[in-house]
Amino acid sequence: MNIEPRRKALFDAFGDAVKLEHKNGCLYLSGEVGSWDEAVRAGLLCAESGSKTHVVNDVAVRGFTPPVTKTPAFTDTAVDGKSPDVLVIGAGVVGCAIARELARWKLDVLLVEKEYDVSLHASSRNDGMVHPGIDLRPGLLKKKLNTCGNRMYTKICAELNVPFERCGQYLCFKEKRKLPALYLSRPYWLFTGSGRTKVYTYKSLQRREPHISPDIKCALEFKSAGIVCPYGLTIAFAENAVQNGVTLSLDTAVLGMEVKDGRITAVKTNRGTVHPKIVINAAGVFAGEIASMAGDRFFSIHPRRGTNAILDKKAKRNINTIYSLMGTQSKETHTKGGGVVSTADGNVLVGPDAVETPFKENFETSAESIFGTFERQRQSAPWLTQRDIITYFTGVRAATYEEDFIVEAGRSTKNIIHAAGIQSPGLTAAPAIAVRISKLAVKMLGKTGRVEKNPGFDPVRPPIVRPAALCKEDRAALIAREPDYGEILCRCEEVSRGEIIAAMHRPVPCATVDGIKRRVRPGMGRCQGGFCSPLIIKLISETLNIPEEKVRKGTQGSEPLLGPKGGPDENV
Amino acid sequence: MKTYDVTVIGGGPAGLAAAISAEKEGARVLLVEREERLGGVLKQCIHDGFGIIRFGEKLSGCEYATRFIHEVLKTSVEISCLTFVSDIKKTASSFCLTLVKRGGLEDIETKSVVLATGCRERTARQVAIHGTRPAGVFTAGTAQYFLNVMGQMPGKKCVILGSGDIGLIMARRLTLEGAEVLGVYEAKSTPSGLMRNLSQCLYDFNIPLHLSQTVTEVHGDARVTGVTVAEVDENMRPVTGTEKYIDCDTLILSVGLIPENELAEKLGVALDMHTKGAVCDQKYMTLTDGVFSCGNALHVNDLADYVSESGEEAGRNAARYTLRERALIPVTAGKGFLYTVPQRVDTNALGEKTVFFFRAAEEREITCVRLLLDGNEIMKKTYRHLRPPEMERLELDLNGYKYDNGSGLEFVMEELPS
Repeated sequence: MNIEPRRKALFDAFGDAVKLEHKNGCLYLSGEVGSWDEAVRAGLLCAESGSKTHVVNDVAVRGFTPPVTKTPAFTDTAVDGKSPDVLVIGAGVVGCAIARELARWKLDVLLVEKEYDVSLHASSRNDGMVHPGIDLRPGLLKKKLNTCGNRMYTKICAELNVPFERCGQYLCFKEKRKLPALYLSRPYWLFTGSGRTKVYTYKSLQRREPHISPDIKCALEFKSAGIVCPYGLTIAFAENAVQNGVTLSLDTAVLGMEVKDGRITAVKTNRGTVHPKIVINAAGVFAGEIASMAGDRFFSIHPRRGTNAILDKKAKRNINTIYSLMGTQSKETHTKGGGVVSTADGNVLVGPDAVETPFKENFETSAESIFGTFERQRQSAPWLTQRDIITYFTGVRAATYEEDFIVEAGRSTKNIIHAAGIQSPGLTAAPAIAVRISKLAVKMLGKTGRVEKNPGFDPVRPPIVRPAALCKEDRAALIAREPDYGEILCRCEEVSRGEIIAAMHRPVPCATVDGIKRRVRPGMGRCQGGFCSPLIIKLISETLNIPEEKVRKGTQGSEPLLGPKGGPDENV
Repeated sequence: MKTYDVTVIGGGPAGLAAAISAEKEGARVLLVEREERLGGVLKQCIHDGFGIIRFGEKLSGCEYATRFIHEVLKTSVEISCLTFVSDIKKTASSFCLTLVKRGGLEDIETKSVVLATGCRERTARQVAIHGTRPAGVFTAGTAQYFLNVMGQMPGKKCVILGSGDIGLIMARRLTLEGAEVLGVYEAKSTPSGLMRNLSQCLYDFNIPLHLSQTVTEVHGDARVTGVTVAEVDENMRPVTGTEKYIDCDTLILSVGLIPENELAEKLGVALDMHTKGAVCDQKYMTLTDGVFSCGNALHVNDLADYVSESGEEAGRNAARYTLRERALIPVTAGKGFLYTVPQRVDTNALGEKTVFFFRAAEEREITCVRLLLDGNEIMKKTYRHLRPPEMERLELDLNGYKYDNGSGLEFVMEELPS
């Protein structure tokens, strides 16, 4: 590889401040620049889209200390001394899908997650789109895995009992003259894996989406596009994995590894030291740190923030599917320009934007990003109004400089497999990534002994009972059997006491207000938990037999209540 | 299927009054309440100031509600608590409701419906507060529930955003329980709460009120560690450079109430974008025949006494309801009004008196309010002060005028030189 043109580009941009070296099949960047954006730009200048020669970016930012990874504040010995066949690090959608896929084999699998619940980072902080892969260049690994993953969704969601709808996505154009090109492009999409398409004129589109902007003159519908609740799916993967024998350890952060002769021999966590045969790195934005601990660092992650707004269910009357306008995309920021999405739960989602950030765990939102997103999307959806916003959230994507997925065995370390750089369309690709990783893992383990199929594997995860969605007869019968299903605690989303109690006793247990919210939706509605949160706190306190002030919203230290009024004395 | 003459949805002050008055008219009444106990939000209102107009004495919210609860228990009203209205449909001559309760799923039929569903609080996100989302951000009503019903402290070092009445009351309540209330911030240039609450809850406890300032950002990962406040310009936009960090563990919001009208929307009841409640006539009947609305579901009231009054009237009329031709003429509010209720007058059913409520859009000194019928003045009243937080009540006799199809009533106001 001739790296001189890149050195020249770097010199033109930064002078002597940034140095580039080509060794061990990677492009190492070092030096110091004035801002984070410059450091990212240095990486992008050297990277080639889809290349296996990755940029490892160690360019520092003057006067800036990178944030310390947040880890649980306690230590214990919950997993100490365990020697699983496979240790999966990270319980996002990728890690959970991998764990479930590995459960098809007779293997001892330990899935660790540093947060208090599964699906807390990018896996819950995205728009839930199952992409047709329109914007992905053929030849990229992510294009291939997106196509495979997309095709797997119908079956997987049926097995896991997760609502999934192939609603289709409209790619919209303002220029009528694009119409012939749209017809001509249809074989291309079919051939490259985006599936069947249909051309719409404004008139025919308006019959499907009556409230779309009259500026839209034509559109291409991708029928393979779908929508799923991303955290619902991740939780389902985790539950099905646990149901089939996988051990899930939450609040478990990997703090370091011992590597001897190119093999990881020990993995240190705050809950003890583990001695796995192989390690799978599904650590999302922290994949670089894990690779580094394993002595196998050959890529860098540069986090990219995106903010979405969630609209009241009332806004749903304006939209049936997903649509986005061609031309709101930006090459520079690598955002697909976002879109307007009608979610699996009947809300409307607007966004996201894309901003480079050194803060991997900063999920703050800002007024500017919401404003910008709305301005952009109003071009295709003029009915959008910020008055309908009930809440908003930020997610951080785990992008590599090559903007492609890394799904491969370690390069220097023998017993690690990476699922890294999994940003959008990672949700779509997750099932396919899991299959590929599990094959690699089984092959790796097969070198030292036979790996047998798990004959008891049950791919079906029992559904979450949702009385409000049942027909009257079934709902009445359920309530007659269990009256708790007839007591509504969250009126905005019509969630019963029975559903909340059940959510606390599933294969992946949860005992936090937010955990319950992600599973059965109390507090997701327009009052945002104003009415139901006290009732949920009381119910958790009763069910677990802990004081109300010990009930957490989410992470450790997030107790909403500070103890009985009048201080402790009054209650002695 | 059980049948009723009147079904009242909501067992707060409006619903209780509606059920009692409907039953007095001889109707077969069902009162549906989603919570375990009757009383609505009054259950958590342990402060006084209720009932001054209605009973001529100062009661706590709980005492006020109890009077109605005792009364309703003496009647034949059928009460169904812990019951949720899952669906509501209009049939040819009645309404069909699907009720969900621990006892099962039940469909009932009713000739008329009184919507007394109250209101909900506007949330942090709805007033565009950004930053992180730790524990410790509560709406004032939720904080009040924690403290007064559960007996739990929601915060020890609190900032309050919004000078609405519940916010002011919570400032005092938290102070009395030993919490530190650092200040009340109000984005508007005038306070949103009643005068009596400003003086009794803030001034008496030396709690500072900061006008034209708002909270822009929340900080903290697990629990609130602080908030950023900033001054706002005349368009309520934060002014860059005026940001100030305040160390606190709790942010309490009292930034407005929104009438709950999800059931009304299911029935296709027309809503008023100013009140966010139903459009109704002086009988509290909405534009959908047989559907009545009252209390805070109709428009956010300043006093529970008025809530009860509208409930009583709505209940009585719901009991007397028979399908008949209405001659509705519009009531419009001119410049200077936030809104008026009712928005229509049925000239076929004028009683001895017609009651109007209105709020001024901004603070005014000596102001003359006039009611015009087709441009001709039929009433005139001068007010010494008009403040948006305070609702004004007008009782008029509208008999003896000539109304026709195109008639209309209009409220106008003009400020007089002092």
